[in-house]
Amino acid sequence: MARDFGTYVRRRREALQATRDDCSVRQVAQRIGVEPSYLSKVERGETPPPSEARIVALAQELDEDPDVLLALAGKVSSDLQAVIRRRPELFATLIRELKRLPDHAVLRLVREVRDGHW
Amino acid sequence: MIELRSDALHFRFPEVHDDAMLRIDFQRTLRIPDDGTVYPLPAGLGRFPLRHVDDFGESVPPSWNAHGGVMMPMYQSEALWLAFESDYPCALKIAAGKIDAVTGEPYRPGLHRGPQDYVTSAQPWLDGFCVGKGMIRQFVAMPLGAGYSAEEQLTGAAEHGGLQLHVYPLKAEHYESIDHGSIGRSRMMRRVSSPSANEMGLAPGGMMRQEIYQDRRPLDHYDLDHGSRCFVHLANSLVWRGITGEAPPTTPFTAEDYARAGIPWFDYYADGEAAVPGSKVLAALKSVAALAKEKGQVREGRF
Repeated sequence: MARDFGTYVRRRREALQATRDDCSVRQVAQRIGVEPSYLSKVERGETPPPSEARIVALAQELDEDPDVLLALAGKVSSDLQAVIRRRPELFATLIRELKRLPDHAVLRLVREVRDGHW
Repeated sequence: MIELRSDALHFRFPEVHDDAMLRIDFQRTLRIPDDGTVYPLPAGLGRFPLRHVDDFGESVPPSWNAHGGVMMPMYQSEALWLAFESDYPCALKIAAGKIDAVTGEPYRPGLHRGPQDYVTSAQPWLDGFCVGKGMIRQFVAMPLGAGYSAEEQLTGAAEHGGLQLHVYPLKAEHYESIDHGSIGRSRMMRRVSSPSANEMGLAPGGMMRQEIYQDRRPLDHYDLDHGSRCFVHLANSLVWRGITGEAPPTTPFTAEDYARAGIPWFDYYADGEAAVPGSKVLAALKSVAALAKEKGQVREGRF
C-alpha cells in the first residue's frame, strides 16, 4: 500500500514538474512542511504514508482529490469518519449496498437541495 | 435538480440536456462606501459557507423549513456578489425578499421582457440591484425588520427576506443548433482571494458600474417547463452559530483592511453587450446610508 501511494505521488509530481518546473521533491516537501528526504522515502514506498493533514496538503500541491490520496494511503478522512460515527448503522448499510453498484449508477446518487413553498 | 457542492449551487437539467448546467457561488466582499460615488467592482474574499436547511431542521425558524433550500451566514458589514459559471445558456431570475433584483417588481415565475426580469448565463456575475443602465447598488446585508431591505422599502413588510434564485435552461434543440465554437464567452477574470437581530435581508448599498446584459434570444427558446429554484436564507453570524454550532466565518475586512491588503478593485468591461436600462423602482430606493441619516442613526466607521 505504501508503495502504491508513493508511486502514485511520484508520477503525479513528476508530471507536474515537467510542465511547471516548481514540483521538485525539494519544492513540494518544503511547501507541505516535511524534509525532502522524507518525501523521497514516501515516494519510494520505504516509509508509510504521512499523516492525514500532510496528505491533504500534498493533494493540494498535486492538484489531486484528497480523498483519492487518502484512500491510496489506506486512510479515511476524519470528517468522513465523523459522519459515519454519527449514524454508523445507516452508513455501513449504505456503503455495503453501494459497493457493487457501477460508477455511473453511483454518480446519479446525489443529494438535491430541497425546494419548498415560497 | 440542484446540488450543493463546495459551497456552490450546481443547477443541472439532465432531463433537458447533458450539458445543461449552471454553477452559482456566493462571494463575500467588502461593502463599498455608500457615499454617492460610483465605485468599480470589488474583489471576492472567498465564498460564503452554504448549508442545507434540512440539516438543521430542528433549529431553524419554521418558515425556513417550509421554504427549503440553503442558508448562509452574513455579517452586516459584508456584501455579496454572485458568480455564474456555465457553458450552457440559461436564464436566471434573482430576487431579494422576493423583489426582482433586475426590475424591482415582485418576484413571479417565468421569464418576461419589457422590462427583462432576469439575467443570462453570459453574465459573469451580479453584485447588486440594477438601478440604472450600467449601474447597480451593491447587495449588502441589513437586519430584516429594520426597514432597510429592498423588500421592506417596496412592500412595507419584512415577510420573506433571503435571496431567491430561479434558473431556466435553453431548450435542447436551440442548444444543439448553436455553433459552439462561436459562443464560448471569453472568461472574464475577477480576483478572488482566500478568506483571511436574526434573519437578514439584502438592502441596496453603494453604487457601482455593472451592466445587466440584454437578452437577444426569443423567450420561447428557454425551457420554462424545467426550471429549478432555490431559496437562500441569510442568518446573522451569531444566529448561524446558534443554528449550526459552527463558528461564524472570518471577521470581514474593513475598507482600511482592504486598502492595507492592497487588493485592487476591478473595472468591468462588457464590449459588444447591450445593457438593460435598469429599474426606476429600484433606482428610487434609498440606500442604507441615506436611510440611516433619515432615521438619525449614528453609524460607526465608513459604513
